Amino acid sequence: MTTTIANLADAPAEDRLASAIGLIARQVPDRTAIVAQAGSDARRTIDYATLAAAITKLEADLAAARPIGIVARAKRVESLVVIAAACGREHVPVAFLAEDARDLVGELRDWVAIDDSLSLPATAAAGPRREFETVPPQVVVATSGTSGPPKLVDHSWDSLLAAARLAEQWHGLGWLLVYDATRWAGLQVWLQALLTAGRLVVPASRDPDAVAKAVVDEQVSILPATPTLLRRLITSADRGFVSKMKLDRITLGGEAADAALLEQAKELFPGVKITHVYATTELGEVFRVTDGQAGFPTEWIGRPLPGGVRLSMRRDGELLVQLSRDTAEVATGDLVERRGGRYEFTGRRSDVIVVGGAKVFPRRVEEVLRSVPGIADARVYGLPSAITGELVAAEIVITEPLPDSTTPDHVRSAALAVCRERLEPHSVPRIIDFTKKLATTPAGKIPRRPS
Amino acid sequence: MTIPDSIAAAICSVLHDTGRKAPDISPPSLLSADLGLDSLDLAQTIVLLERSLGVDPFRGAAAGPRPSIRTVSDLIAIYTTALNHQ
Repeated sequence: MTTTIANLADAPAEDRLASAIGLIARQVPDRTAIVAQAGSDARRTIDYATLAAAITKLEADLAAARPIGIVARAKRVESLVVIAAACGREHVPVAFLAEDARDLVGELRDWVAIDDSLSLPATAAAGPRREFETVPPQVVVATSGTSGPPKLVDHSWDSLLAAARLAEQWHGLGWLLVYDATRWAGLQVWLQALLTAGRLVVPASRDPDAVAKAVVDEQVSILPATPTLLRRLITSADRGFVSKMKLDRITLGGEAADAALLEQAKELFPGVKITHVYATTELGEVFRVTDGQAGFPTEWIGRPLPGGVRLSMRRDGELLVQLSRDTAEVATGDLVERRGGRYEFTGRRSDVIVVGGAKVFPRRVEEVLRSVPGIADARVYGLPSAITGELVAAEIVITEPLPDSTTPDHVRSAALAVCRERLEPHSVPRIIDFTKKLATTPAGKIPRRPS
Repeated sequence: MTIPDSIAAAICSVLHDTGRKAPDISPPSLLSADLGLDSLDLAQTIVLLERSLGVDPFRGAAAGPRPSIRTVSDLIAIYTTALNHQ
């Protein structure tokens, strides 16, 4: 199997998922492909043979109906896998619409929706058919909408699978899926797991205890997560479970990973390889940093990286990316700042809070707040103000339990004092609220708007 | 709490947060000269008052001359009007 999976790279990208699952199903039919609802009583498993059989059936239906495109409407991860694999094999374009992007379905005229029943609706046969294959099949994914309304982005199967690792060291591993399976980051995780005979573990919820239990119970070795989700796991999950985790690798993406979080993770999971990936839904993976430090080395700016990517910087600090010589330079909306020998991410351009004309980087304020004893986590956002445009506001989660004789009020005063000492006056939060749990966006990031 | 009390409490808490001592607050007090409030302090006061009084008279205010807010009694008048129009 080892050699055959590695040989998949020779097959056309759109065939790879169906081919890999078929191959694994023939050799080890009852191997578990997906553990759904992990960590709960509703736990169920799906093996490779079951996936392969469902793919073959849907392929036949698609071949008969020839729809112009499929919208994957399914809720279950295994259904999304089957739809993707069958559409790829049959050269039918397929769209994955996350919950908050459902309104965009209107842009996909005459595309046919498939839900968890995995059957084509009867009306599909009456709709327009694809007569000629003029364009390669594409995969449509919605952006996460962190910095604006979600929009649909077309990808080729080649770009979707560009970052997948097929080498033997990646075979048969346990992968945790905390991302939404319909988004770019989630697709990357389940494609990687199922292309390499891995076990995809989907926790029953994003609650830190449920995630930690799923990691331990299902022997997850690879944990892809946003820094926000990892921070929550570290600060809020039952330490008993966290200490029993047997991770090999943590892959952070979706947001910048700050130095404090990386240090905490190294301390808590000694020996675990910690990588952060810089990727966007539009560009795919741009680079990954494997030295466990925040940001990236300053010498990466201005010279081509392995693979041909070129990074440069606008005068205001916005990171620009050119994927290859023949592609245009793209403004990423991410701001970087030089700190020693690194460029560190200070935030998204659209996240910047403007207070009386002065810029505030919410990430920077959050980092300072998290350094205050008694504060487990923090979220900083801009509150609209008629007087100053915006006002810096923060929600903080108190460490539990607080040391004796310390009250939340003490923590609040300490937070203000530390912020006054380390931040510009206009960056000091003017409104501080306590909360038990910080909100996250569906993509697992920190929301930057008032809740 | 009455409107003047709510306003005094909000100003006290803004001054306290920023490590300043609250002087006597009375209707004729000048927000800037007597109490030392800058525009950020005033913005914070307005958010606190929205929470205690349930109204933000400055939100979505149409362009045009803004009512003068120089003294505590200016604020009292603005909030009294806003609450009466609710």
